Amino acid sequence: MASRGALMLSAKDNVATVLEDIEAGTDVSARLGNEVRNVKALERIPFGFKIAIVDIAKGAEVVKYGESVGIASLDINKGEMVHIHNLEGARGRGDMAKGGSK
Amino acid sequence: MNFLGYERPDGSAGIRNYVLVIPGGLLATKICEFVEGTRTILTADSGSGRTGRDRETIARTLIGLGRNPNVASVIVHSSNPGSGYPELKPARIAEEIAKSGKMVEVIDVSKEESTFRALEKGIILAREMVLEASQLRRQPFDVSYLTVGVKCGHSDTTSGIAGNPAVGNLFDRIVGAGGTALFGENTEIIGAEQVLAKRGVNEEVSRGILEVAAETEERAKATGEDIRTINPVPSNIAGGLSSLEEKSLGAIHKAGSAPIQGILKYGERPEVKGLYFVDNWMSSSSIFTGYAAAGAQLVIFQLGGGGWTGGDLLPTSTAVVAPLMWTTANPKTLATVPTCIDFYSGTIIEGKDTIEEAGEKLLQKVLDIASGTFTKVETMKHIDPVQIYLKDPCF
Repeated sequence: MASRGALMLSAKDNVATVLEDIEAGTDVSARLGNEVRNVKALERIPFGFKIAIVDIAKGAEVVKYGESVGIASLDINKGEMVHIHNLEGARGRGDMAKGGSK
Repeated sequence: MNFLGYERPDGSAGIRNYVLVIPGGLLATKICEFVEGTRTILTADSGSGRTGRDRETIARTLIGLGRNPNVASVIVHSSNPGSGYPELKPARIAEEIAKSGKMVEVIDVSKEESTFRALEKGIILAREMVLEASQLRRQPFDVSYLTVGVKCGHSDTTSGIAGNPAVGNLFDRIVGAGGTALFGENTEIIGAEQVLAKRGVNEEVSRGILEVAAETEERAKATGEDIRTINPVPSNIAGGLSSLEEKSLGAIHKAGSAPIQGILKYGERPEVKGLYFVDNWMSSSSIFTGYAAAGAQLVIFQLGGGGWTGGDLLPTSTAVVAPLMWTTANPKTLATVPTCIDFYSGTIIEGKDTIEEAGEKLLQKVLDIASGTFTKVETMKHIDPVQIYLKDPCF
């Protein structure tokens, strides 16, 4: 059966949502309409989680739906999972408001 | 494209046919225990010790529930801690509901010998009202008579890709046919407000959306906490959502693509039909009550569920007078709680349906429920407590 791969939601996206449980080393086809980007998963990524489809530098925006969903808190390699361990939200940051950093 | 509903004196169409007893409390609860076909609100938000603005919100909610098309007639009683405030006087609430032309009766406990005499009177009255309501027959109405409210919850990444887009397509169909659709959740537009604001019918609406997001974010920042420790909630994160922005950008897909006609307060009835953003709180204990007060005959809980820990789904009845239907696009969620899910849109992810096709099927399901078919959780008799969305501190 063909792999359902992963889904990009906008051409601007640097992450894709995987549509099945992906094992490390799997070649994942990230689809955007008829366009397909191939990326090798560097780790296990569960159904519904995000895979980086390009390298994302620490401090850069993570983009999904063509919009920023937060900032990379670490350098993220193409093929790595993107979640709370390497992505920080930029909005509603009361913790930072108090510290006066932003 | 019709459903079978109950015609009301104000020209609206009910999809259910209840007698409502308000406000909550011993009297209302006991009347409803004895009499079939009744509903009441179960809440600790009586209004006592609340600001004028919040008391008005409570009054708007009670009046709105009474005016909801699913309600045939209403009993308002005075045995409630908030009844002394001008906004919450039973006579005022009854008068406002009666403007819709439906029968409203007031039970003034001070004029009865005791609460138990009042209860006897209430039971007799409710039985008469239910008997009369039962004589009404369903007749065809088109989709323009429908008002549907949605909340997405326990969202995961299937919500933004398939579950919410299917509901959004339903909303486009309802609004396109002249009906009304309500979405909201003021925290879950943070990070997506710039996308939503482009859809206001005019400058005022667009500005209003940005203001709701800004006000909510300010309140969040004032807590001194990272909002990610509050919302996205743990089940969102377990379902693959990494930030509030990501949750919000997926959440707004449930609003479809129609222009946003206006911004409503919690429980506020729209003056003209169309798509509305409601400034409300995401809690399922709160949001559905407000939608029903705004006139929604049916409410939808679009469930992600990737982080759901199992067991049957709650709530079942927080819209008080409007049935709740559950949808999901997550195949694992469907497998976990098949007894609660009314519609599955994971076919979009599986490549079996386009969003358009899933939206068309969802509309057919909605019309079926509107015509009298129960939603799955409607088969349960459990009454959930509700929490009216109040913004001020209490004293």
